[in-house]
Amino acid sequence: MPQDYAVTFAPHIRRPLSTRRIMLDVIIGLAPALIAAGAFFRIRGLAVVAVCVAWCVATEWVCNRVRKKPNSVGDLSAIVTGIILGLSLPPALPLWAGAIGSVFAVGISKMVFGGLGANIFNPAMAGRLFMTASFGILMTTWTVPATLDATMPTVSPTNAIDARTQATPLAWSKTAIKDKTGAWIYYGRLPLRENLLGEKAGCLGETSIIALLIGGAYLLIRRTITIHIPLAVLTSAFAFAGIAYLLNSEMYVQPFYHLTSGALLFGAFFIATDPVTAPMTIRGQWIFGIIIGVFTMLVRIVGEYPEGVMYAVFLANGVRPLIDRFVKPVPVGGVPHAV
Amino acid sequence: MISIIGRRASFSGGVHPPQSKHLTADKQIQPGPAVKELAVFLSQHIGAAAQPIVKKGDAVQAGQKIGQCQGFICAPVHAPVAGKVKDIALRSHPVLGRSPAVVIEAESASEPVLPAFSMPQGFDPAKYTPEQTCEAVREAGIVGMGGAGFPTSVKIQPDAKVPKHTLIINGCECEPYITCDYRLMLEWTEQIIAGTRLAQRACGASNVFIAIEDNKPKAIEKMNATLEAMGLAGSITVVPVKTKYPQGGERQLIRAVLNKVVPTGGIPPAIGVVVDNVATAAAIADAVIYGRPLTHRVVTVTGEGIANPGNYYVPLGIAVEALIGHCGGISGQTAKVIMGGPMMGIAIADLSTPISKASGAVTVLTKEQVSAAGLDRRQTPCIRCGRCVQACPEHLNPTRIAHAVKNNLMDVAESYYISACIECGCCSYACPAKIDLTGYIRTGKILRARQKKKMPG
Repeated sequence: MPQDYAVTFAPHIRRPLSTRRIMLDVIIGLAPALIAAGAFFRIRGLAVVAVCVAWCVATEWVCNRVRKKPNSVGDLSAIVTGIILGLSLPPALPLWAGAIGSVFAVGISKMVFGGLGANIFNPAMAGRLFMTASFGILMTTWTVPATLDATMPTVSPTNAIDARTQATPLAWSKTAIKDKTGAWIYYGRLPLRENLLGEKAGCLGETSIIALLIGGAYLLIRRTITIHIPLAVLTSAFAFAGIAYLLNSEMYVQPFYHLTSGALLFGAFFIATDPVTAPMTIRGQWIFGIIIGVFTMLVRIVGEYPEGVMYAVFLANGVRPLIDRFVKPVPVGGVPHAV
Repeated sequence: MISIIGRRASFSGGVHPPQSKHLTADKQIQPGPAVKELAVFLSQHIGAAAQPIVKKGDAVQAGQKIGQCQGFICAPVHAPVAGKVKDIALRSHPVLGRSPAVVIEAESASEPVLPAFSMPQGFDPAKYTPEQTCEAVREAGIVGMGGAGFPTSVKIQPDAKVPKHTLIINGCECEPYITCDYRLMLEWTEQIIAGTRLAQRACGASNVFIAIEDNKPKAIEKMNATLEAMGLAGSITVVPVKTKYPQGGERQLIRAVLNKVVPTGGIPPAIGVVVDNVATAAAIADAVIYGRPLTHRVVTVTGEGIANPGNYYVPLGIAVEALIGHCGGISGQTAKVIMGGPMMGIAIADLSTPISKASGAVTVLTKEQVSAAGLDRRQTPCIRCGRCVQACPEHLNPTRIAHAVKNNLMDVAESYYISACIECGCCSYACPAKIDLTGYIRTGKILRARQKKKMPG
């Protein structure tokens, strides 16, 4: 009975978990936020996400062809990037702008570095940063949810002012600080129900706190992500906002509102936890999360812009290689003397 | 000291592979097949190979020494059956490649007889001096039977510099599929306890623990009941430990049972602890009380590719194919034949490979399992998810070490403590990208050893 038996290194069994499955879990985790985006910003909102996904996948495919590499679309990571980028955009953004951002996200910030696993910056955040730099007005014009105004006009560079727009809660908070009007204007305008459900102006995926918590819980239960990064981001942001509030409660809004507005929750669960651009060790993840939380709040409270998650993630991504270099796991038996 | 109330003794890191022990857990130890030819390796242990003291054509008796020690860390080998030395030739060794073995043609092909161990009347370990026990263990060629094969006499002999205060008998058997130690604990309980007491007396340990994973409640119960019946419940403690791989790794076990850490690069005796496998303990009793050398062992033949899996008592040197044939052969869907279990075992291509002292199992995996593990698929890029870092029981960064080796950056691999790796396979098991992390690390260790030899000092 001549037969070839495979000879490989141990172990000969593996955990039934693949990169593709991890990405699929992230997509499932994003589903509640997608549903909320559809509910509040209707087909127009979903169109933005769809365009981003399509262009992200297409870009990955083309890049692989050009580099003569095996097709890597099947690992679903381009779809994840597309959904996250789409959900981080304003609802009425012109679709062509989403396409340009997607091409940058996957083409420049991922494939140029060598594809999945080799990129330094989170592709979706790099794409969004590029778009913010390129289309400043479009990226900061928010329409009211369709549940409040069904017309939802498309915004273009020429009619940005005409569309029925609404400032985001964070913009109110910024105004309160800048104009010294006081934080009280914030509370009256945003009832708790609308705040948690997501019936407020903002980027597509960030408005519904409940949807994000459901998705985040799914990822935690599936162990796709661990609690360390979200916890570090949220607690450090909460602490920062809390200190500001304690110092001047007239001027700064309550820390709870900081957690429930803007992209903080979305970022903590879905962006900062991107394994490729986050540290590998638990201690490193705490440092990474605290950098994001603190810098987000620095921008929000001290800086010029109302929102800072994107900048904070970008900065932390840049610091990540240093964190991994200096926060090495220590062997159980201690560091050997002669290495 | 043993564990905080309500928390099972364990260690940090590790993985939970499917147990797959149901295939053979309830199969009593049976005598193995009758074979005509045995190939007894001269090197079945860590350390120097034994020197053959018989030559081609010599007649040998069962239990006769055929290879003697040369060097301190070494173990002699003995003829398992009476017969004639057919040749001293190279045979496929799972670790050493082609390695010299004494090929013995048995006088008569008969089934091995299960040894009858009965506790001698008035057995008292105090009657055996440590020197006597160490000498008997050394002469019997006993080595660690859990897989590593380190000469036991070296481990248990007293050390004036670091007195040995604790003896842990390892009945974890954390490796999936394997059940030989489990069956021993159920069927040879008294013998294991006798060996444990002799080892304790030899090394001078005052604390003795028998650690058993809590997925073997019957073994824990049997061990406790037997200790009770022998009036030893106060002096030997059975510690149920959490079922987790690699709980039976000695460094992990010491952490779980004693909450003590063996320094990186050190061995347990450095902190006064000795860890011995249950099968080793049983062999010690046999050697010291009856003067029987280690010539047979219990092997689990298992895996989905085996028609009739079971636990068999076989002579050392029996070929894997003879064992497999005895178990009804292997299915046509067989993809891998492994010496040992699926986590740390070594895949073999040559089925004439003989069983040696440290091989506790032959595991046969089918295409279905190899494919379910994703091993027939391409490795995908590392997404730096850190699952390997979290799974590593030694708290290393496997992906950094593996990729350093891949890129031939040995100094980087060293700066991430490649030598502290125990090669348990947890990182490879946990990797979603199916990267052969353990394989790279093992390769790196070999490269490093070669480099060191090339550049002395």
